[in-house]
Amino acid sequence: MEELVTLSKYPFLNETKQYVKDNNLSVIELLDDPLYERARAIGVERLENAFKDRDVGNRSLVSESDCIMEILSYPIARMIAVCVDDNYFIRRYALGEAVHAYKNLINESTNFLLEIAQEFKFNIKYEEETNKIRIYFKDYLRNAPTHYKEWKMINRTMEKGFLHIKHKELARIIQEALRTRINSELDMRDCNKSVYDIFSSDIKRIQNTVITYRKKIQVEPIGKLDLKKLPPCMKHILSSIQAGENVPHMGRFALVSFLNSLKLKTNDILKLLSTAPDYEEEKSRYQVEHITGSISSTSYKPPGCEKMRTYGICPVDQIDNLCRKKRHPLSYYIAKWGEEKSKK
Amino acid sequence: MGSFSTTKESLEFLKNLFSQYYESSKVDLPDRFSRREFAFITFGGKGMIRHIGFNKKNQFYRFIKTTALSHIYYSSAYYKKPDAATMQEKDWMGAELIFDLDSDHLPNVESLSYEQQLDVVKKEFFKLVDDFLLNDFDFDQRYIELYFSGGRGYHCHVKDPNILSLDSNERREIVDYITGRDLKDSLIFHEQITGLKRYGQRTYPSAKSLKMPTPDEPGWRGRISRGIIEIVEEIKKSKKPIIKLKDYGVNDSDAKKLLLDLSEERVSRIKQGKLDQSKLIRKFFLNNALRNTAVTMSAGETDEPVTCDVKRLIRLPGSLHGKTGLKVVKIPINKIDEFNPLNDAVVLSDKPIKVYVSKPINIKIKDERYNLKEGEHIIPTYLAALLIGRKAANII
Repeated sequence: MEELVTLSKYPFLNETKQYVKDNNLSVIELLDDPLYERARAIGVERLENAFKDRDVGNRSLVSESDCIMEILSYPIARMIAVCVDDNYFIRRYALGEAVHAYKNLINESTNFLLEIAQEFKFNIKYEEETNKIRIYFKDYLRNAPTHYKEWKMINRTMEKGFLHIKHKELARIIQEALRTRINSELDMRDCNKSVYDIFSSDIKRIQNTVITYRKKIQVEPIGKLDLKKLPPCMKHILSSIQAGENVPHMGRFALVSFLNSLKLKTNDILKLLSTAPDYEEEKSRYQVEHITGSISSTSYKPPGCEKMRTYGICPVDQIDNLCRKKRHPLSYYIAKWGEEKSKK
Repeated sequence: MGSFSTTKESLEFLKNLFSQYYESSKVDLPDRFSRREFAFITFGGKGMIRHIGFNKKNQFYRFIKTTALSHIYYSSAYYKKPDAATMQEKDWMGAELIFDLDSDHLPNVESLSYEQQLDVVKKEFFKLVDDFLLNDFDFDQRYIELYFSGGRGYHCHVKDPNILSLDSNERREIVDYITGRDLKDSLIFHEQITGLKRYGQRTYPSAKSLKMPTPDEPGWRGRISRGIIEIVEEIKKSKKPIIKLKDYGVNDSDAKKLLLDLSEERVSRIKQGKLDQSKLIRKFFLNNALRNTAVTMSAGETDEPVTCDVKRLIRLPGSLHGKTGLKVVKIPINKIDEFNPLNDAVVLSDKPIKVYVSKPINIKIKDERYNLKEGEHIIPTYLAALLIGRKAANII
């Protein structure tokens, strides 16, 4: 029974998958048999909780039947998620599963975490006497949230290619690995017609929730560009270009892709750049159109603050309080609009 | 100097030299060469010929022998279709981890001579390879290849199969580690309670001391510790310690205070990992130890780090640098120290040739020093190629 509880807490484990297989359940049974009605209901609940609370949620795991329903709800939730057919939703669901696993994992023994880490093929060294956990830097880089300063590799002790981590940090790394794994697994799958038919009302309801949510977070069309609301980095790049100073390639790229994301047309972007003393219409047009994707295969996204800093185009001496709260120049600009709206 | 340009004769001279070189020497192709993109610049040609792939070795050799090439590059990345015109169609499969250290990118080198610049870069390069790649990251020596760039720097290619798939953000993290970006004080220093006072049932800390790492600790902790000890010893040994400290950017009164504080006893305490100093002095030690031990890869903050770019073109080992005539030559990992590009990368002939030198130059090449004033000189072919490439001379 104890083992069954573990399986239901971690339904993504190979062992759990094996358990389902061993019980010879067909997809049709899962979807149709009244016996699994509860599993289906929990499946939908997992999705809704994940979207709302970033966690698929806890249910009682007292009886054997509780556990079995919990285990079976996982593949059901995944099948439905694929049918919702929305990237944002799938990301959100994967996060919900991963966060849920993390909350359980921090209470497990280190040895248990190591077993799970093995499933993700992490290269880990563990000294039981000293309780020292070390992880190979590649597995760390792949999964640790290194955009936080304390998670940066430099703020860890590195010894012969292995980084020292604590129990809780290993759990967090597993969380990230799980999230990535669910994302890519679901991305590769297609919606099963019978799943869609059986859950069509749930799927439509979820799709509606997602659309409403999207509308809520979407800011009003930026329309006319307000130069005063530009983040310091973009102001800096723009004024340097306009002053005819030599702006590194990455800086020009950042500005143009940023303006492009604000839905500025090529001509409008060129107008902004044309005040530069060394402006050459033909050359600039080619470059801008390359970045905006009108003559190349990709439309490039503007770099985030982290990237801007590494490329040395974040004017560290000019950043303000809003900058410190944001991780992307675009979110700075959007927040500025928000500030103005709330003032009114 | 601005008006001085390479004449047709000089260009022809270089072109012939390079053709002869590619006809008679075997340039090794990189591993999995059919997965690589190649790119070329020809003598007198405009722009770069890109998106070239080769399926057979002979195709490649025929090409480099029949085309007058001044620069040859290949992609550090592997592609399914290396000759496709867009990155998307190329279909990226992985890439070597590349470090490109060039004196162009280093701060305060403009005033130095070519030889001195090469020396400065070499020091940074040695730190990168020895202290970081081999020690901290523990890369196997057989996966690390080192090259002189043919110009003013060095390239390091890491080919460990483990890291080929790293994306650009993951590579940036490695660069940040090596360049010491975003190191937190709290990783290095922390307070330790050294005395306790009892009040009734409870105990309270009564004394604290500041702990710093010891030199034998792994990673950045040990590195900073060694860096601090080095600075302390440098100051102790110096005949004018106050001036030394001022060079480090410490003001007069702080310098005096710090010096007074650095008794023999205090120095030995630092070596044991006890740094009882004011916040200001702590910061001074940390910042300077960091600056001395991290690898400087770019001047200020403006250079595009090559390492993060997973679709980078890099000079082909064994080829010649079009602006120097020097060879992109492999450096054995235990020979970085003694490597001298102006000896070991010189491959062109020593046949004397008459040139007009437009810019005075003092350079030691192939163990011979040349102090050339503006005017006509007869010099070896390899030196002529170097000077023409740098727009400092022309054939007459």
